[in-house]
Amino acid sequence: MSNDTKKPYAQRIRDALSFRKLQQASILLLLVGLCAFASYRSPTFFTWTNLVDNLLTNAAALGVIAIGMTFVMIAGGFDLSVASTTVVCSVVLVLTMDALSPYGAAVAIPAALLLTALVGIVLGAANGVLIAYVGVNPFVVTLSTMLVFRGLALILTGGGQAKQVADIPLRNQFNWVYDAQLPLFGQSCQVSMPIVIFLVTFCLGIYLLRFTRFGHYIFAIGGNEEAAWLAGVNTHRIKAATYVLCGFTCAVAAAIFVAMTATAQAESHVGKELVVIASVIVGGTPLGGGSGGLTSTLIGLLLLRVIDNLLTQFSVGAEYRKVVTGMIIVIVVTIDVLAKKRSRK
Amino acid sequence: MYSNDRLRRAQSSRVIGTPFCNKSQNGNPVLQMQGIVKEFAGTRALDEVDFDVRPGEVHALIGENGAGKSTLMNVLAGRFDDYDGLITFDGRQVRITSPRQARDMGIAVIYQELSVLPNFTVAENIMLGDEKAGRWTRKLDRASINAGARKIIEYLRFDLDPDEPVEKLSKARQCLVEIAGALRRNIRSRPGKGWPSRSQILVFDEPTASLGSEDIDKLFGVIKDLRDKGLAMVYISHRLAELPIIADRVTVLRDGRTVGTRAITDCQISELTRMMLGHDLAEAFPAKSPQAEKTNRPGKVILKVDGLSRPGVFENISFELREGEILGIAGLVGSGRSEIVRAIFGADDARGTVEFRGKPIIGRSPSLCCAVGIGMVPENRKREGNITGRPVSENLTISILERLSGTLGFQSPRNLTAHATRMIEQMKIDPPRPQMDIQDLSGGNQQKVIVGRWLAAESKVIIFDEPTQGIDVGTKSQMYRLIIDLARQGRAIILISSELIEITKLADRILVIRDGRLVREMMGPETDEDALFAECVGKDKSE
Repeated sequence: MSNDTKKPYAQRIRDALSFRKLQQASILLLLVGLCAFASYRSPTFFTWTNLVDNLLTNAAALGVIAIGMTFVMIAGGFDLSVASTTVVCSVVLVLTMDALSPYGAAVAIPAALLLTALVGIVLGAANGVLIAYVGVNPFVVTLSTMLVFRGLALILTGGGQAKQVADIPLRNQFNWVYDAQLPLFGQSCQVSMPIVIFLVTFCLGIYLLRFTRFGHYIFAIGGNEEAAWLAGVNTHRIKAATYVLCGFTCAVAAAIFVAMTATAQAESHVGKELVVIASVIVGGTPLGGGSGGLTSTLIGLLLLRVIDNLLTQFSVGAEYRKVVTGMIIVIVVTIDVLAKKRSRK
Repeated sequence: MYSNDRLRRAQSSRVIGTPFCNKSQNGNPVLQMQGIVKEFAGTRALDEVDFDVRPGEVHALIGENGAGKSTLMNVLAGRFDDYDGLITFDGRQVRITSPRQARDMGIAVIYQELSVLPNFTVAENIMLGDEKAGRWTRKLDRASINAGARKIIEYLRFDLDPDEPVEKLSKARQCLVEIAGALRRNIRSRPGKGWPSRSQILVFDEPTASLGSEDIDKLFGVIKDLRDKGLAMVYISHRLAELPIIADRVTVLRDGRTVGTRAITDCQISELTRMMLGHDLAEAFPAKSPQAEKTNRPGKVILKVDGLSRPGVFENISFELREGEILGIAGLVGSGRSEIVRAIFGADDARGTVEFRGKPIIGRSPSLCCAVGIGMVPENRKREGNITGRPVSENLTISILERLSGTLGFQSPRNLTAHATRMIEQMKIDPPRPQMDIQDLSGGNQQKVIVGRWLAAESKVIIFDEPTQGIDVGTKSQMYRLIIDLARQGRAIILISSELIEITKLADRILVIRDGRLVREMMGPETDEDALFAECVGKDKSE
């Protein structure tokens, strides 16, 4: 067959606009369309307060977890335990900050953050070792650890009481993680700290996934794990690393949540793992892995959040919001399946 | 058995390498396997097999399913660590215990199910596992991936675009990608020197099974080119017709033993067939008396297939099937014969109509065909036939559960077992225990269960797709008698087999399929194995 350069121009355009890419573009288009519709119907939608302060800031913490989840899912894995991991991290953060508060904020906060990050990494590693080295199915492993970690959080909080960051000075010195506003776009258009944290994680994630050998191998494992292993890729280590990474992002998200509420509650964030997985899938990372990316996850997350925000603005009840969210997931995945069938023919 | 020292020396052989070798200059084998024995749960899959490959030759390895070709190559590829026997690779004795070790030594297997990464480009696939990254930034060096791949593609003179995603390539080109990836290490480790080094062997495991004829020609061109460069290759195949085109020597395996090794120039296809099957198969057929044939005239048309097409697989297949008739469908593997019967049975979508007793079956699906009265004994018993992990009784009755169930769908276990016991008696399934897990039966008895399933369903048309694959001669003989008996009872049979002798001995009428087209219809008694083979191959290729 001919090389790319010899192909007729029309064919090259058709290649570039493959059905798959069109489908990705259609989600972006849907997002833009929804935003346009929303700002037309609701005067408050397209305001800085609603979009940045409200929508994006609230989505930031879940967005950070979604970054970790994207790594796991591109490698063909799955993590149901993220919400539980986040809760354990929150509880550990609050407890250590409380315990270390006598040493002053300068010691307590960095130490607590460090420990929290470590806990996130250890919990992620537990998943990773079981899945990658022992070879247990990721669904089973993370379903169990979801329960185990949740129980751990309950034990740490003495049966589920909300733990407050009690020391008032410490509390005031920590909530910058949530409250700080950076005047990136002038005084009237400030960007909150969670968004900044998300953007930093996002950029690091993009670098890791798209520009390093580690990221390259993640795609390889998602494409054909056996082939990657035979080619000399240490698939076990890389798969385990994705779960560690995911645990770490949970710890980061935990810091944002704690700063937001100044409490940690073992019973919170139930079901959030599904929101995270949903945004990864809606974005276009398939369940088997091998393709997808962080930008698509971001688009998926935004789509779900915008729909949610919109329905809230029109004061639609939470019950209907769930129905709509569920339907969006099914529709997007159905389109994906049909697209694959078509491209195979 | 082998000292560590020896092993280490063997493993390091690829680093040291040996001088360039030319096929004319050196006829010593690159690989020698001697007295290889491998057992699975007490049965010998390989029994003292000898095999060797020389540089610059394609050595074909043929045999029936279960003869041990794949097991032998799996030993070579390091998939087992508990084999016995000696392997000498590149002049050193080695013991291969893991796929990684095999690959590092320079043994590459190209399996029928290609193991490429569909989501990667050609270049990324070829260079997988050999990427360079920045020391501090850990940044992946994409430029070196492309440059390295380009060099290898140029070296091998493959027609590949490094930037193209592999999922868009045809199967044949994906195969080229895999070959390039397998040979990468060897080429890169010897820049500027002769290639290939002796420590490289390439095994093809039925590479043409999923390729069209054009792609096959392309692949053969590549294999010949590699051979001329001095590479040692093993070629596993079912298709005898390919061997004169591609192979230099042929080794035949049967029942885990080496039957013999021949140079391709001094052997006939029919001789190879005999070596593959053993001499006794022709005697396994029940004698057909001329009288029986006269009394057994086929009856009314029961199945009419009209214009059945699946683009790219088969085109415009039309035929009629009569009650009491055995219709053989002959063709090479990959000619589309299995796909045709799968489409008739509704397992695959296809255009065209199928009429059963004059009424078209609309919206064909296996469940509908089963209800109408068509049954199929599928080609791949393990994957499509057995319901693994369930007892024989359930496997026998799965297709008639509706009929066996009482009020509100209640299934009486006793009723089920009683029915199964009757079938077990009728089919002479051994051991006759309905509660036994089907996977614990021998291959032949598993097959009897699957056939029994359709007898239980009282199907009027039964499709047999390779019914005797991987079963012993005794059971084969029983299967032949059963097929003839079923036809005598007035059922219509469609029989597909790679063993052409089965078709010529059993079928009343034979359809020859070549490249997805119905090219000829022959009467069974008029033809013999060699004539039918020539038809299947097409006359131009048989010469």
